[in-house]
Amino acid sequence: MGRRVIWTVFRKEMLDLFRDRKALLGTFLVPLVIIPFVFFLLGMSYSNVEKEARAYIPIAVNGSSGLVASLQTIPGVSILQPSNQEQALQEGQLRAIITISPAFEERVKVGGTGEVVVAFDSTNQKSVYARTVIEKTVEAYSKEIVVQRLKQAGMSEQAIKPIASTYQNVATEERLSGGMLAGIIPLMLVVSLASGGIAAANDLVAGEKERGTLESLMTAPIAANHILTAKLMAVMVMSCMSALASLVSLSLVLRLGPLEMESGFSLSFFSPVTLLVLVLTILVLAATFAALELVLSTIAKSFKEGQTYMSGVIFLAMVPSYMMMPLNPVDIPGYYYVLPVFNGVALCKEVFYGRVEPLHALVGLGSSLVYVAIITVMSSRLFRKEGAVVKN
Amino acid sequence: MIEVKQVSKRFGTISAIEDVSFRVEAGEVYGLLGENGAGKTTTMRMMATILQPTEGDIEISGFSVQKEPVEVRRRIGILFGGDVGLYNRLSARENIAYFGSLYGLEQRRLQERIDSLSQMLEMESFIDRRVGAFSRGMKQKVAIARTLVHDPDVILLDEPTTGLDVTAANIFRRMVGKLQEEGKTILFSSHNMGEINKLCKRIALIHKGRLQFAGGLDTLRERFGISDLDDIFMAVVEGSEA
Ligand SMILES: Nc1ncnc2c1ncn2[C@@H]1O[C@H](COP(=O)(O)OP(=O)(O)O)[C@@H](O)[C@H]1O
Ligand SMILES: [Mg+2]
Repeated sequence: MGRRVIWTVFRKEMLDLFRDRKALLGTFLVPLVIIPFVFFLLGMSYSNVEKEARAYIPIAVNGSSGLVASLQTIPGVSILQPSNQEQALQEGQLRAIITISPAFEERVKVGGTGEVVVAFDSTNQKSVYARTVIEKTVEAYSKEIVVQRLKQAGMSEQAIKPIASTYQNVATEERLSGGMLAGIIPLMLVVSLASGGIAAANDLVAGEKERGTLESLMTAPIAANHILTAKLMAVMVMSCMSALASLVSLSLVLRLGPLEMESGFSLSFFSPVTLLVLVLTILVLAATFAALELVLSTIAKSFKEGQTYMSGVIFLAMVPSYMMMPLNPVDIPGYYYVLPVFNGVALCKEVFYGRVEPLHALVGLGSSLVYVAIITVMSSRLFRKEGAVVKN
Repeated sequence: MIEVKQVSKRFGTISAIEDVSFRVEAGEVYGLLGENGAGKTTTMRMMATILQPTEGDIEISGFSVQKEPVEVRRRIGILFGGDVGLYNRLSARENIAYFGSLYGLEQRRLQERIDSLSQMLEMESFIDRRVGAFSRGMKQKVAIARTLVHDPDVILLDEPTTGLDVTAANIFRRMVGKLQEEGKTILFSSHNMGEINKLCKRIALIHKGRLQFAGGLDTLRERFGISDLDDIFMAVVEGSEA
């Protein structure tokens, strides 16, 4: 009996939601609009700044030296002589001002130190890039001089380079791309899980209350808990659909997008175990948000009021995601795995780093289930409270 | 049969219903008359087990709303007045079928029921269209069909003609007549004495949550010594103001 009622209500809710343009928009807004848009902007500004910084490097040079010739060989470098160099640098028309001391060449010739001052603007990404280019050129030029001096003294280059060191990165390519994704994906995933069910949850209780349908529904000989269970399932489905669409959208955007990550991006860091943990994490997070959203929808006296409360859920989803964005999973504090939502975000990160700690998974998923149970009981109490379904 | 036994209902400090008793016999069309805010909806909500009486009890076909709410729900159909609650994105048929299956009707019986209701209420032309674009009268028909889909013995109609035009109100009254012929027990609430007079022989008159009178309309006339029912209603309302 109970199962039949739940199924009947669930089927009706899904039919109703799929015919509701507003609910569908809410479910697919993050995955289909926000994610591509954010990545597009990110990619645009990133690649533009990078490209422009490389393509054209206007600098001013005061004084003369063989160094200037070296600088001129760098692609993109163009030496300008504006009337007010300082101002031009401040305003971005110049990326750097190089001042070579008057006695530079003579000092170098006699084995002394020539002085070069490079002025740049650390607040300007392009100027910082110019500084790096100049630094490398200066170093290369300096090295040439050293080699010459050593030769004159009858020594080889090795004399001043007793150690040859190479640094090897142990992170595999998969984990590297995982690392990058582990920053952004949990944020997008959790936000879409939270936002995906909002329109549905608000419609299914606050909306039904406002339209008076809930009151009629509650006069049928069925248990309030069965109605609530069906509604919870419907909201969870919307929430999971949004998360799934986000994952698809993210992988498409990362593959096609202007971030040029084709080489780095791959889903091969998924193993059956991490995939299972990801699916379970998505499910418990969806249940947490769905139950919470139904609580708020039941408390709300109107659809409008419900919408206001729901923005709090998005906030709740974003805080842990932002807090953990820069963290490597090994740096995540242990107690995060028992905090609601934090635990889900932390597990997502582990999945995308390709290394899931079994204990973390157990504690994170277990504590999530406890939270889901608590919120569900709460929402059931509220829902069955006298007059909760009646508009007044 | 509906028996209201010394029922009071308080919302916090607000007393919405105070010691109200009346009895509706099986097969009777009974009127519940009162101004806006008199407590009609609250009384019906208690009968439908959505609200609990603070004191007293109500029996529907012998079942207590407090002790056997599910048995009560099986036997009643309630129609809330004003903006009838329907799912706008579902068709008329889907709306009715949804409630039918919640009452446990199996598919074949449900479709039969929908067909016969749709015929009786003359809604065949729009039964498969979505409710959202319906007129007030069309929506009312769908809501009535939903109320009756499980063939309840006791029918509660809370201000069902509010907002209906004259034609729709007439169709509605004819339907009440038909239901009475089928032997249904009907409680009909209104703030309009004239309308009650057209349908009912016996009424309960409540004002500000208190029962002013319960019984036959003839007894009511005798009691007040006034023949015009509207004047009696006015006298009750003004009498309590004074
Ligand atoms: N849920 C509620 N909470 C507080 N007061 C209520 C509630 N429901 C009804 N009331 C009050 O009870 C009184 C009767 O209301 P109601 O039964 O809706 O009257 P009617 O249906 O006759 O117009 C009104 O004063 C109303 O404000
Ligand atoms: Mg009312």
